[in-house]
Amino acid sequence: MTLRQMFEPSAVAVVGASKTEGKIGYEAMANASEFDGAVYPVNPSSDGELFGASFVDSVTDIDDDVDLALCCVPGPATPDVLEECGEAGIGAAVIYAGGFAEAGPEGEELQAAVVETADEYGISLLGPNTSGFVVPATDLLCSFASGAEKVPPGNTAVIAQSGGVAHVLAFQSRRQGRGVSAMVGLGNRANVGFTETIEYFDADDRTDAIVLHVEGTDDGRGLLEACRASDTPVVAYKVGQSDVGEFAESHTGALTGDHELYTAGFAQYGVPTVDATDDLLDAAAALGDSPEPDGPNVGVVTAQAGPGIIITDRIQRAGGRLPELTRETRDRIDDVLPGLTYTGNPVDTGRPMPEFGDVVTAVAEDDTVDIVLVYELFEQALGFPVEALDGLAERVDKPVLFATDGIEEDMAEDVAALSDVGVPLFETPERAADAAAVLARYAEMHTLAGAGEVVADE
Amino acid sequence: MSEADDPIAAARADGRRTLTEAEGKRLLADAGVETPAFAVCSTADEAVEAAADIGYPVVVKVSSPSVTHKSEWADGAGVVVGVESAEGVRDAADGVFEAAAEQGIDADVLVEAAADVDAGTEVIVGGLRDPSFGPVVLTGLGGVFTEVFEDTSHRIAPIDAAEARSAIEDLQAARLLDGYRGSDPADVDALANVVATAGDLVTEYPIAELDVNPVLASADGAVALDALVVLEADAETEAEGER
Repeated sequence: MTLRQMFEPSAVAVVGASKTEGKIGYEAMANASEFDGAVYPVNPSSDGELFGASFVDSVTDIDDDVDLALCCVPGPATPDVLEECGEAGIGAAVIYAGGFAEAGPEGEELQAAVVETADEYGISLLGPNTSGFVVPATDLLCSFASGAEKVPPGNTAVIAQSGGVAHVLAFQSRRQGRGVSAMVGLGNRANVGFTETIEYFDADDRTDAIVLHVEGTDDGRGLLEACRASDTPVVAYKVGQSDVGEFAESHTGALTGDHELYTAGFAQYGVPTVDATDDLLDAAAALGDSPEPDGPNVGVVTAQAGPGIIITDRIQRAGGRLPELTRETRDRIDDVLPGLTYTGNPVDTGRPMPEFGDVVTAVAEDDTVDIVLVYELFEQALGFPVEALDGLAERVDKPVLFATDGIEEDMAEDVAALSDVGVPLFETPERAADAAAVLARYAEMHTLAGAGEVVADE
Repeated sequence: MSEADDPIAAARADGRRTLTEAEGKRLLADAGVETPAFAVCSTADEAVEAAADIGYPVVVKVSSPSVTHKSEWADGAGVVVGVESAEGVRDAADGVFEAAAEQGIDADVLVEAAADVDAGTEVIVGGLRDPSFGPVVLTGLGGVFTEVFEDTSHRIAPIDAAEARSAIEDLQAARLLDGYRGSDPADVDALANVVATAGDLVTEYPIAELDVNPVLASADGAVALDALVVLEADAETEAEGER
């Protein structure tokens, strides 16, 4: 099964499209009509046009190569709709309706019926019980949520078990000025789940990092194996720490919480985990916009001691290390800015100076450093060392993260300039430190996971 | 392993899902885990003879598929530790046989070389089959560290020795294994071997749950002092379960 028809359709049918504002069939059609390709409203009880397209009675009446159907019909009507999709040669469908496996035995039967039809015709099903997906780069807005059109394109693929959380992450990524390559709410995972979507987005050119929101899956091993097979970095947020596995009565089992297995399994398979939605996007920005770090050693350059101390403390607590910089680097920094407060690591310049960029460069070029984190409060007279940071990460082949604060409108231009040259940006010392620590953990896991893989292949 | 020597086949042939301690230890020993020298005896005379072969002190335990929690069984008759003499072995064995007769169950006694638990650190090593992840292993330091502090570390099985070592190092109490108050550091490589082996066993055999508790980790190695193995429901029961 390929998800190409889902995420790169030639044309889209909106089944159950409606002229009544507020109905899912209207909102989904409103969003879908932004798509570059043909979008067909399907509803046997409607006539005329909707968003410039003429209603058709059934997907089988469309004389076009439709890949994707958005099913805006109630749950019980879904099996028939899917049958017609199969006959029309449609290879992918989104089922928004609830009342399936999440709703008891009858819903389970309904879902089984839908999956049977889908499998018979080879249809990839997103959902049921999802708010859909969005691919901003192609204006493919297969969500009925308002504002989906404002999520900017970026390079992080969001794969969330909950459609609601998928949107939370997409809107957050917009506020952070980052955007997504795609945002997917898996819902009930009838026949498209974590493994299929991870495989697809790993191969997707627009995606440089994949983030997962996981509540729980009965195929935990499949999920982990897909993560390990992914060349694209994956970061996960497993919710529900209070879960306990089914073996709770037995002795060993009582020691094995479900959550602990996920956390341990993700680490073992090379996936750092975080504990919040914004941490997930920060980690994705750090991993997706950077060369892969070779190790956990962070070099910190700060223009203010206070934020620097917060960063230093937090990185170390979260699994990163702050090695002492080489004598050579310290001498070099001393030549650039004589008499600095502290040059061990972090390097504290006291306040930003025109030479700040040279200090950052010296730290980045230090071989003991695998990851660079720069903190600087915005000073209007100086701005950011954009020139020094432009291409630095690629040249030294290690991540260079940048955190700052100031008045948004004053620093907007500089922030945009840094963003344009691909520097991952963070708004607080804590978030920057946590992102650096994820990079450090990622680097450590990948040496371990790599070793594990060799054994598994034997 | 010939079928006659295969503890899992033996348990299956009896229609049992739980292996006796001796069967569990044999499974571990065959997989390369060190266990104390032991013998399963069906009379008090045999037990005395076995104790002489093994060398004192010994531990005398009830060995029966009907008894899984030996230390709580029959008011403590199920496990007698630190037995120093033939007379002591005979008394302990008689105690087991009498209690078994009273309860109307079949039982043997297990005579085993006593381990000096003060010479090492007690570690729990377990394996189980999780519904989402399949075979998994866990490790934790024994006693309050697992029971109160819930200081355990998990891995998806199978794992290699390096991953097993990292699982041990993940424990908050791992530093106790490095030696403290002048004690020698434990042989963590040997312990890692037990953890990796537990992962292999639960992966390779139809084991629902494996409890090696405790493993005594000391400077001299890692010895499995007890073993509980619960098999998965056999194929027929499973087929029914799947509908």
